[in-house]
Amino acid sequence: MNPTLKRFSINAMGSFCEVQIFDESRINAKNVTRKLSSEVHRLENKFSRYRSNSFVSEINFSAGNRMGVRIDSETQKLFEHAQSCYEQSSGLFDVTAGVLNQAWDFKSGRVPDQSEIDELLEHVGFNRLSWRKSRLMLPAKMQIDFGGIVKEYAADAVANLARRLGVKHGLINMGGDFAVIGPQPGDMPWPIGVADPKGDGSLMAKIEIMDGGLASSGDYERFFVHEGRRYSHILNPKTGWPCSGLRAVSVAGNLCTVAGSIATIAMLKEESAGVEWLQQSELAHVYMDSAEEVKGTGLGTIESK
Amino acid sequence: MMLNIKVILFVAFSMLILNACSQVRPWERGYLSKKEMSWDSDILESALNDHIFFSKEASSGGNNAAGGGCGCN
Amino acid sequence: MVKAPKMQHSKALRRKRRSRSLLALSTTALALPGIATADAPPTESAVSYKISNYKEDDLSRREVLFGDLNRYDIDVHQFKLVSPLGRNMAINFDANYETLSGASPWFTTAGANGEPVVNLSGASGIHDRRSEASIGARYYLENGSFGGNIGYSEENDYRAVYIGFSGERHFNSDLTTVSLGFSHSEDEIFPTDAEIFNRIINDDKQSSSVFVSVSQIINQLSTFQSAISITEQTGFLSDPYKLRDVRPEDKKQFAWSNSYRRFFVDADAAWHTNYRYYHDDFGINSHTADMSWHQNVGKSLQIVPHLRYYSQSSADFFTNIDNPLNPLTEYQSSDYRLSAFGAISGGINFILELDKWIVTLSTERYIAKEKYSAYKVSQPSTALVKYNRVSLGFDYSF
Repeated sequence: MNPTLKRFSINAMGSFCEVQIFDESRINAKNVTRKLSSEVHRLENKFSRYRSNSFVSEINFSAGNRMGVRIDSETQKLFEHAQSCYEQSSGLFDVTAGVLNQAWDFKSGRVPDQSEIDELLEHVGFNRLSWRKSRLMLPAKMQIDFGGIVKEYAADAVANLARRLGVKHGLINMGGDFAVIGPQPGDMPWPIGVADPKGDGSLMAKIEIMDGGLASSGDYERFFVHEGRRYSHILNPKTGWPCSGLRAVSVAGNLCTVAGSIATIAMLKEESAGVEWLQQSELAHVYMDSAEEVKGTGLGTIESK
Repeated sequence: MMLNIKVILFVAFSMLILNACSQVRPWERGYLSKKEMSWDSDILESALNDHIFFSKEASSGGNNAAGGGCGCN
Repeated sequence: MVKAPKMQHSKALRRKRRSRSLLALSTTALALPGIATADAPPTESAVSYKISNYKEDDLSRREVLFGDLNRYDIDVHQFKLVSPLGRNMAINFDANYETLSGASPWFTTAGANGEPVVNLSGASGIHDRRSEASIGARYYLENGSFGGNIGYSEENDYRAVYIGFSGERHFNSDLTTVSLGFSHSEDEIFPTDAEIFNRIINDDKQSSSVFVSVSQIINQLSTFQSAISITEQTGFLSDPYKLRDVRPEDKKQFAWSNSYRRFFVDADAAWHTNYRYYHDDFGINSHTADMSWHQNVGKSLQIVPHLRYYSQSSADFFTNIDNPLNPLTEYQSSDYRLSAFGAISGGINFILELDKWIVTLSTERYIAKEKYSAYKVSQPSTALVKYNRVSLGFDYSF
């Protein structure tokens, strides 16, 4: 009996998302894909900042409201994870950093004045949120962006739902963040290509994953060069200026969410500190440094156990 | 008194089991989450069985609150 | 292109102490509801219906002095609806309807050689129905759930109202689950033809029950659960239809259940085994052991052979021959359910899953005999049952 592959793709969280599952379970694959797709849409409708009617938009709309906004347990847990990221990165990974993008226009390639940045920096800082269990008070002009967490979380959540529905072989791709449900039939790993940050369509690395998650972070295409200096779209929430560390990082781990947080923090750090952070994380990783050299450990076939 | 000893034994036994267990990570619980691994994989079937055994045997109770509500016993 | 040497990633992780950052990030990530495997309310509605026929073997004339040879023949209709209500809640509605015909033991006398002989109830037999309905709701929290239900059951000579509450909580990264529950039932008995046969006109009884259970994930393939329940019944606990049936007005019951589930990957099958010890202050002790093998066959079929063994000791006041000289102030009962006996039952179930449908066919054969008892049988009962049960169930989710 040859398991057949079912796949569907959707645009969600501002990127291309794809689900591939092998129909080997008792449960009909069509039924499974229907449920998985509704889970993607649920997370998209709740956490996407690209949707004006999402819950995150509702939170952002509440900025300055002294009553605050009631958040459900899933959102609370995301904030707890965001806090964990903020603490472990000594304030570099900050879900309130999104407002800094107002100063940086990567299409026009203009370098803003320090005064513009300083003004925006007053509205950045996770520690300025007052957040008690189910109620969040977002100070005026501050914004929340779960961009660095929610795609990875969606990959894990969809993979977890698929496992619960009996799927044994599958791949979830949420805009370049992957969660893998067991190997392909025949014990074959899933080959995943990581795009080169130069954006010429070439691959920076080809990684084979048996199980678990793979997350990537990089300044793919979204950077500009001004007066010989490269400005990445990844902004340091403390200075308001683009980070100038690693060019791209991919991390594999049991959970895509954890791998993604490790990768994002590595990108936010200075180059040498980023490399050290990756090594200390003990997760398999591959990165491209500022000299465009590709290095890393552990990323052959990754068997997450 | 008899009951007290049984309760103590039950708690001690449970602790023993707890300590003997390895860490099973959430992503390693795929098989455990299968429907046929649940405590009660067919609720109507087990409800019917409980009902029949309750009316034909003297024993009841166990892993849920014991029945009643039936003139069959 | 990097093709790093195949590194033993997992071993490397075990050797070193885990990085603190990794641990911190993993802990909060694992608490996210989409990742945590804790309870989740159902995401879709499901209706279930099951029709069952339960038929006891006829007794032989040798065993029956007077009355019908046919014993119970019962049709049971079970209906269940579970539906999500909002994001954190589920409601359920249950209804059961039983139609019953046949005769049941009325009193026991000594036969010509002194052996006990059953007298089954009136030649016209019994025709009865039982209707039951209950509603319930369950609320799901991030690390557990709690819920309650309320129900009503009615027969032509019996009425019951019951309520129940239960809650469960996951601990220890959801490896351990503790459940607590409570239920209470208020029952009313009003025997038919009470005046003609000098039965009680009406009476009542109350049952209260508490249980606690602990479930534990042992490894990637097995789980274990242990539970105790304590029940107290007070009020009229005798059988109003039996001529000489006098039981205490208070009964305390204790049960200790243990369940084990194990999955076999190569066989693609799950093994269930359960054991229960029971004790009550009527003097009855019992052991129940059962096991079943849930074998997946292909994509959509599951075949489940199951086997059960049950054995109980007799109640202190059980007598297999009603003695008309016994004063009615003394506890006495010839109810076969209070005698020492054992029972073996088994059968095979077929479960077919088709997209949104599940069709279940269940069969069971049950044989109770005094010689199956693991306890000493000083007074064998005659009216022990043998029955066949066949059920056909349908589940539809939408």
